[in-house]
Amino acid sequence: MLGLLEQIIKQAVERISSQILTYVPGLLAAIFILAVAWVAARAVRWLIIKIFKGITFDRFLKRSGLSSIIDTAGRLQTSQVVAKTVYWIILIAGILVALNSFNSDLSSRLTEMAVFLFPKLVAAAAIIVAGTWIGRYFGRTTLIWAVNEGMPWPRKLSAFVRALFTFGGIVAAADHLDFARDVFLAAFILVVGGIVLAASLALGLSGRESVRNYLHEGKGTAEENADDRPLWRHL
Amino acid sequence: MEGIDRADIVIGVPSYNNGRTIGHVIAAAQAGVEKYFPQFRAVIVNSDGGSTDGTREAVLGTGLNKEQLLLMTTPLFPVHRLSFPYHGIPGKGSAFRLIFQIARQLDARACVVVDSDLRSITPEWIDLLLRPILHTGFDFVGPYYHRHKYDGTITNSIVYPLTRALYGMRLRQPIGGDFGISRRLIGRYLTRNDWETDTARFGIDIWMSTIAIAEGYRVCQSFLGAKLHDAKDPGLHLSDMLHQVVGSVFRLMQEYEPVWTSSTGSQEVDLFGFRYGVGLDPIEVNTERMIAAFRRGCEELGEIWSAALSPETYAAIRRIGARNPGAQDFSLDDDLWSQVVLDFAVAYKKQPVERAHLLRSLTPLYLARIASFVRETRLLGSDEVDERIEHLCLAFEHKKPELIRRWNNKPEPASHQPRRVESTADSKLRMEV
Repeated sequence: MLGLLEQIIKQAVERISSQILTYVPGLLAAIFILAVAWVAARAVRWLIIKIFKGITFDRFLKRSGLSSIIDTAGRLQTSQVVAKTVYWIILIAGILVALNSFNSDLSSRLTEMAVFLFPKLVAAAAIIVAGTWIGRYFGRTTLIWAVNEGMPWPRKLSAFVRALFTFGGIVAAADHLDFARDVFLAAFILVVGGIVLAASLALGLSGRESVRNYLHEGKGTAEENADDRPLWRHL
Repeated sequence: MEGIDRADIVIGVPSYNNGRTIGHVIAAAQAGVEKYFPQFRAVIVNSDGGSTDGTREAVLGTGLNKEQLLLMTTPLFPVHRLSFPYHGIPGKGSAFRLIFQIARQLDARACVVVDSDLRSITPEWIDLLLRPILHTGFDFVGPYYHRHKYDGTITNSIVYPLTRALYGMRLRQPIGGDFGISRRLIGRYLTRNDWETDTARFGIDIWMSTIAIAEGYRVCQSFLGAKLHDAKDPGLHLSDMLHQVVGSVFRLMQEYEPVWTSSTGSQEVDLFGFRYGVGLDPIEVNTERMIAAFRRGCEELGEIWSAALSPETYAAIRRIGARNPGAQDFSLDDDLWSQVVLDFAVAYKKQPVERAHLLRSLTPLYLARIASFVRETRLLGSDEVDERIEHLCLAFEHKKPELIRRWNNKPEPASHQPRRVESTADSKLRMEV
């Protein structure tokens, strides 16, 4: 009985020892890789902040409106956000390499997936940022135009234009990632179709008025009344 | 152009749907040449932007009753009339470019450009715009008119005071539209590579005037009497014209920075012609709508104005916008207005917001200034209004050192007192409180 117990314990210890001997080198390698990745990530973050500070990168981003995508209040420095993003990318890459050092199926699959997805994720993120930036630009253009033209609800119009472009960016990104492609595409088509219908109705209704004026009064458009005249006369 | 290989004088008339008035302009130009320059070969060029109202037919078909001219000398050469559609960006600048190219091709000694919507042009205008170039050696002749106190508001409230403060020359109508230009200056214009900018549109007038002044060409002005013209096409929006003209001024400020930052004060520009008083068309202005547009801007454009204006200026603007809409003492005074324009100039250079957005967001502020000006000058005569404009010019000149400092990112001097950006109406309001 005691012999059997001793044998079982001995086998268990041997198994654990064998497993430890199998995994320890990998673990040590993983720890080393992680440490190197962490140091590299910190160094790169420091470097990015230093370099972009020197060439007034933040001012450029602020001017172009890209920084307001990240922080509308404008307190956040975009170069720091970029530096932090790069920091985490390096760190995650380090973790993946470290996992791969265990040489297991799971770690290999994880690494493969990450390597395969990474460029697509970056491209999708760039598409969303571009869509947001374009939305912001045209939103502001719409706001100023609506104010100068005396249109009702300028802010809502501006927000709508902004949302439309941002949504367009999200649809394109989803399409790029093959993520719920049909859902986003169908929603986008519905929104654009709705806009076209609304615009057609608006044009049709105003055109009907012009045609009526033309037929009844012999004028292409309604006679300018006092409120329609330009606010100024000449340069 | 067949059969015309050279000319001494080219008279250019840009047009777009000006069929109603262009016949008179062409006839006046032809009469001017035949009466005052009978010994010269002259060509009248219409550069048209695709008119559909028979403008070009009017140019080529207008008859001139020579029996009424009583010419002292028989013209030696016939005055040719040409009409071409121009290509490229639609706008007055593109039309001018074609006229200048023709003038260069014909090796013309001088070129005159006049607006096609003029109702008050006379043959004497051609004499007054050409003679300083042909006989006195000037390169650029600007117009000097009598205009209604509410006509030419962009000129009076921005372009004249700013150009005068920057370049130190009191050229009264830098965007008047009727100019005389020497061969030398035409050559210079055509060598420029910024024709595809706002210069192609309404920025052309200030572009021509600024280059002439800033590059040291001999500049003068001629008194032409009254300027009466058709109202601008209502389809052209104020915001477009304002942003093209002001955008050109700001863009040229960057190019000629060494010129304007080294000059101080301002000097008179030689004036030809005999000044006399004239009657003018009345102009009605709806200040309530202008103030409403300004208030709407205050409510909606805060994010742009706060980036473009200095904190003190923005606060002062907000205070005016927050005032009771029906207040009779609405005022955007000279001091604050000049500060607004100079803040926008600095913002144009530093670009805290997109330039197109910046320039277009100026419209409500400009309307506020015009409303304020109209209310303050409602009972004033033309001489008193001229004094008010002179006062505004001095406000711009007074602020020029500060503009230079901010333009060059230099720190505020320790002894510098805080700017007075509070409007007169603000002071009154505070006293009442």
